[in-house]
Amino acid sequence: MSAQAGAPARPRAEGGPPPGLPGAVRRLWRRSADSPAPFLLPFLLVYTLFLVWPLLSGLWMSFTDIALNGAGGAFVGAENYAEALGDPLVWRTLGNTVLFTLLTTVPLVVIALAMAVLVQTGLPGQWLWRLSFFLPFLLPVATVVLVWNFLYVEDFGLLNQALGLFGAEGLGWLTDESTAMWSVVLTTVWWTVGFNFLLYLAALQSIPGRLYEAAALDGAGAWARLRHVTLPQLRGTTAVVLLLQVLASLKVFDQIYLLTGGGPGEATRSLLLYIYDVGFTGYRFGYGAAVSYLFLALVLGVAALQLWISARRKG
Amino acid sequence: MPHPPHRADPQTGSPPLLSRRRLLLGTGALALGSALGASGCAPGPGPGSTTEVRFWSLFQGGDGARVETMLDAVHAQAPHLRVTPSTLAWGPPYYTKLAVASVGGRAPETAVLHLSRLPGYAPGGLLEPFDPDLLAEFGVTAEDFVPGLWERGVHDGDVYAVPLDTHPVIVFYDTGAADRAGLLDGDGRLTGMDSPEGFLQASRALAEAGGGSGVSFGHVNDDSQGWRLFWMLYNQTGASLDLPEGGPAGLDRDAALRVYAFLADLFDGRTSEPDLTYPTALAAFASGRSAMLICGEWELPYLLEHVEDLGAAPFPTVFDRPGGYADSHAFVLPRQGDPGPERTRAAHEFVALMVRNSLTWGEAGHIPAYSPVARSSEYLALKPQADYAAAGETPVLDPEAWFAGAGSQFHSDVSEALRTALSGDGPEAAVEHLERTLDSWAARTNPGGAR
Repeated sequence: MSAQAGAPARPRAEGGPPPGLPGAVRRLWRRSADSPAPFLLPFLLVYTLFLVWPLLSGLWMSFTDIALNGAGGAFVGAENYAEALGDPLVWRTLGNTVLFTLLTTVPLVVIALAMAVLVQTGLPGQWLWRLSFFLPFLLPVATVVLVWNFLYVEDFGLLNQALGLFGAEGLGWLTDESTAMWSVVLTTVWWTVGFNFLLYLAALQSIPGRLYEAAALDGAGAWARLRHVTLPQLRGTTAVVLLLQVLASLKVFDQIYLLTGGGPGEATRSLLLYIYDVGFTGYRFGYGAAVSYLFLALVLGVAALQLWISARRKG
Repeated sequence: MPHPPHRADPQTGSPPLLSRRRLLLGTGALALGSALGASGCAPGPGPGSTTEVRFWSLFQGGDGARVETMLDAVHAQAPHLRVTPSTLAWGPPYYTKLAVASVGGRAPETAVLHLSRLPGYAPGGLLEPFDPDLLAEFGVTAEDFVPGLWERGVHDGDVYAVPLDTHPVIVFYDTGAADRAGLLDGDGRLTGMDSPEGFLQASRALAEAGGGSGVSFGHVNDDSQGWRLFWMLYNQTGASLDLPEGGPAGLDRDAALRVYAFLADLFDGRTSEPDLTYPTALAAFASGRSAMLICGEWELPYLLEHVEDLGAAPFPTVFDRPGGYADSHAFVLPRQGDPGPERTRAAHEFVALMVRNSLTWGEAGHIPAYSPVARSSEYLALKPQADYAAAGETPVLDPEAWFAGAGSQFHSDVSEALRTALSGDGPEAAVEHLERTLDSWAARTNPGGAR
């Protein structure tokens, strides 16, 4: 019902233009009546403005030597790309990114699955488990980092104090090159495992009970039911979780930026951090763009590989 | 609040600089913002005959509160200035924001810049020079500053920066522990640390007399600390560093090795920790677990609150000549899209007034750059500020290069060499590390150079 005064509700089944509009608008209205274009327009506008256009102009930038302060801007061909491929820091930070992705993806899938299965098997107080496993994911990254920073402090942090109770020597959680990446991984897993947990829990709840019933009738124990019913039923979800997780881990930036700033040394500097440093504090927009597009190619490659694998499996 | 309320949109609707377009090619969001902005109306001078001076600073916390006090004083002395302060978070992105604002032609009338960043700013056309006559009219001339400092604000004969302070790296110490360690002379001044051996001995004595740790210094995962300490001591050896365009860098390897070897001896993990982060070092000293802290004087307000018997002194002359790593907060005039003589004049007056009111700034620990304040009896009565005020006479500023300076990528790169010396492959490797990094920087061309 229209609430506008003076405009009686009229049936719109014919989709005709309201009377009183100029002729040209009426004609346009009629012509578009069967087309989805007007509905798509707002989206397309935003999409073009904020995704397509930056994507294209970024690509152009990567072939120039433009700087943040507006200097440069001359076309330099593939020079930036050549430099990027020969830049040891690109490779080092790419290596860190891949390492981080490996170290986080495995636990973030396995732990999420384990937690979901445990909760689903009927621990008492389900809501409490669900809440506490998911809650960290709701925290903003700044809060998470603040908390973990305190835990990681070397001489009076909780973790080293706890190690001290067992007579073990404290670790340089964020200050030792060999442990810093692990600390970042630990924080990330704690923070984001809840999301995958939720996906798994939803999938578990949608497995029909009759499957378990039938399996139980056939004499399958709890373990066999898990192996032969639950896990196969979760395969689709696992593929989704895996893809989302790999993509999320590859674009790691905020927790590293806040926890270690990429240090000590280059131990935790991810590729995105490097791109940021080069482009925004180093002013080299063109070069930063080139490295970004190389990274984009890599991410697209991962996504394509994933699609190919899942298509093959289905086929 | 005595300042007039913040104006929501100080947008001037100015014609953009040509180069702004090129920058915005890449940033869709910004492009939209400026398109919207360009349709805004020009505000003109406000009601009454006040002139707005927008002022960007990077001062937070205690410093920020001091700035407020100074702004109050300025307001009382010049009610016709309508000052709109904006505090931006300190860190490398500060200079990104300032550069972008200048490029966009929508910069504030005045902003704070580390003097060490000037070589990367003035040549790129991001700043306007000051008018010395106008400054003199408001009571500020070159003769009022330490010459080395004022000179660093001059580029191609034009004055681009008016220094507010010097903020050197100094030593803070617990006077009780220092006394027990036998490091204080009859006047209660630090003594016996003016040689590498003396410094090392003092560190051991302090560890015994204090809470178990001698000298604290935080540098791990920090963007500048490793460089500050090295560059200060390197200068103390009297060595120079050439950074010719195109490279290679002219580093005095022997001097660099002397410095790193000394620091490796000092932070040997027995009496002084080699791998502290900045906050950990600060906390270790504030809580009494170490008796001395090497740090910038800017931690003074915090330490005054937490350390009962706080002493402070210029960094000892460990090598051949005195020198404390320092930078200087300076006022600059970012390039605007439509500068007007009235606003330029107001900005000059504002800067002059801030500098002349910098006694408040001295209370925060910084050494006023304006000599009439630094030599005033009020300032010299401040304790422990007066004890390290001498450090303002021999500041060791960053090398003059477009890539150097506070919050630069160069700083974080060269800082890493200290970690190589202390917890990596040792002093020789650190010299290699440093030289490699310096060469690589010297070889680069300034991306923001020619506009």
